[in-house]
Amino acid sequence: MTLVLAWNNVRANRMSFAASFAAVVLAAMLVGGSGMLVAGAGARDELNGVMGLLVLSAAVSGFVSIFVIAGMLSLHVLRQRRTWGLLRSVGMTPRQVRWLVTAEALVLAVLASVAGCVLAVPYAVTMAEAMRMTGLAPVGVPVEVTPGPFIMALVVGLAVTLLAARSAARKAVRVGPLEVLRESAAQRRLLPWPRAVIGVLMLCGGSALAYLVPQVKPVAAFPAGLGAAMALSVGASALGPIALAGIGWLLGAVLARLDPGAGMLARASLITQPRRAMSAASPVMLTVALACTFLFAVATSDAAAGVVRTGTSAWAAPMMVGSGVVYTVIAVLNATAMTMTERAEEIRLLRTVGTKPRQLTRAVIWETLIVTAAGTLLGTGIAVVCLTVLGKAATGVPWFAYSLPQYVGLVLVCVVSGLIGGLTATRRARRGVLLPD
Amino acid sequence: MAALRQVSVAFPRGTFTAVMGPSGSGKSTLLQCSSGLDRPDSGAVRIAGQDVTRLREKELAVLRRDQVGVIFQAFNLVPSLTAWQNVILPSRLARRRPDPSRVRELLHRVGLEGRERHRPAQLSGGQQQRVAIARALLGRPEVLFADEPTGALDRSTGHEVLALLREAVDAFGQTVVMVTHDPQAAARADSVLFLTDGQIVDVLDRPSADQIGMRLGGRR
Repeated sequence: MTLVLAWNNVRANRMSFAASFAAVVLAAMLVGGSGMLVAGAGARDELNGVMGLLVLSAAVSGFVSIFVIAGMLSLHVLRQRRTWGLLRSVGMTPRQVRWLVTAEALVLAVLASVAGCVLAVPYAVTMAEAMRMTGLAPVGVPVEVTPGPFIMALVVGLAVTLLAARSAARKAVRVGPLEVLRESAAQRRLLPWPRAVIGVLMLCGGSALAYLVPQVKPVAAFPAGLGAAMALSVGASALGPIALAGIGWLLGAVLARLDPGAGMLARASLITQPRRAMSAASPVMLTVALACTFLFAVATSDAAAGVVRTGTSAWAAPMMVGSGVVYTVIAVLNATAMTMTERAEEIRLLRTVGTKPRQLTRAVIWETLIVTAAGTLLGTGIAVVCLTVLGKAATGVPWFAYSLPQYVGLVLVCVVSGLIGGLTATRRARRGVLLPD
Repeated sequence: MAALRQVSVAFPRGTFTAVMGPSGSGKSTLLQCSSGLDRPDSGAVRIAGQDVTRLREKELAVLRRDQVGVIFQAFNLVPSLTAWQNVILPSRLARRRPDPSRVRELLHRVGLEGRERHRPAQLSGGQQQRVAIARALLGRPEVLFADEPTGALDRSTGHEVLALLREAVDAFGQTVVMVTHDPQAAARADSVLFLTDGQIVDVLDRPSADQIGMRLGGRR
């Protein structure tokens, strides 16, 4: 019975699940494809280095996918508050609601993992070709299709989604049966204390790991540095609403002077709903933190070893980061689109009191820019810390190499996806018929 | 199926008109078309001599901001803005700085003193309604359109809201058009229009609540 309901929910909310679906497909595809390549490379010594890097980037992608999918599913659960309330009011127990949310994730995971397995083969072939062309692999990597990588992809796809669904299911359970009657979600606490505790623990753990990076063996330094970046990102994401409210207050005050109407609207929505805004800022922060750490740590160790990469081989590391950036694009698009769609009614109201179309567009743009700027600032801070300790490990001095064009490119991708998501999601409310049908 | 057919009506400046009729009679459509929220398929709507059906979206927005005030039955306020910010919103959109003492006085008049910094979620339905009225009064718009402004309110709050609308007409010479189901509310108006099947079937001048009740079919 629950599975039937779950299946129908997923079908009815196709749009809100589309992004999570794409993210799980991507995760299964990356794990399956990388698995095939590693299996193909076998025990050949000359391929050890590049395969290590490949496994590491797949691990980072797996982590990013859990984080990103958890964010998307939570957003879905929050948007469907009334559904959970309604089900509770007709007699569903909290346990059944939790199972329902998990079952929805299960439906999603099965469909997406199978699709990811199918896509893994072309991905592996393309990657093998790319690695040969960029000179990352000294010899061609043969692609072998064996059942092992597919089983791994299926397991990872399911595990990632179910892990991600846990926190979303807990959120759904907290919705009481009276929620159906409420006009809108009441002002929630800025930071419930379990979230604060997790945030502080993760920040402490990440800092400790970062402190240890220059002291561990050189082989372990790079994974430890990445691990520190991940822990710091999770911590910052948990405590993010506070930072975001602060940043929104500061930047918003400037904006409200420059552009009184639109600026005031953007500022107010950031200050009152920092958690909503954080759902879009988190993926930006995570990408900037991890991609910068990955890219520029490779660049730093190259510089320390005196290696100069030119031509196609300069693109090897960015190519590996590319898959992670795809997650960001999906997550940022999804988060901005979802949070903005929710506000169609508010946008119509703003129009009835005389907001000009351009002012509305500007309000959406300001808000998106502040959110992505906040994510970028936090992510850059984390990357700088991790890169400094990694640089110390590699060269003995707190220094690291970086490429401004790559950094700017990364930030631009985040900003542009946010703007596209926000503007397309509000287009109908901004331009369409004023009265809801 | 047309919601309104061949309706020709004028709301003279400085008058209070109530629009009544059974559900589906087109009274909300009449309000939405006259306030420029919706466009009629044919015909014209003039506010202060200007045909609003010919205006572009941007010009319509300016009209709604400066010359028209709307009050709905529910969802009148931007949830993320405080009561004060909601009141001054149209002025801020026009890049004007409203006189704080006047905003304070208005909020005092609608009985919301000390609630300036509250957000809509912290206000009751009646309080939200009165914030919307304060917003509509601040800019002194030509016309105030109200769709069931007392529909969601208890009797005494409803009375206060009607008194405020009456005052806008008597003290400031604004024009008020109000859709309502309630004969008591309609009795506060200067004239009452009765709509049935998209057509005006009757007009009463300064009727009592009993007369209105009788006209509606003696269901009193």
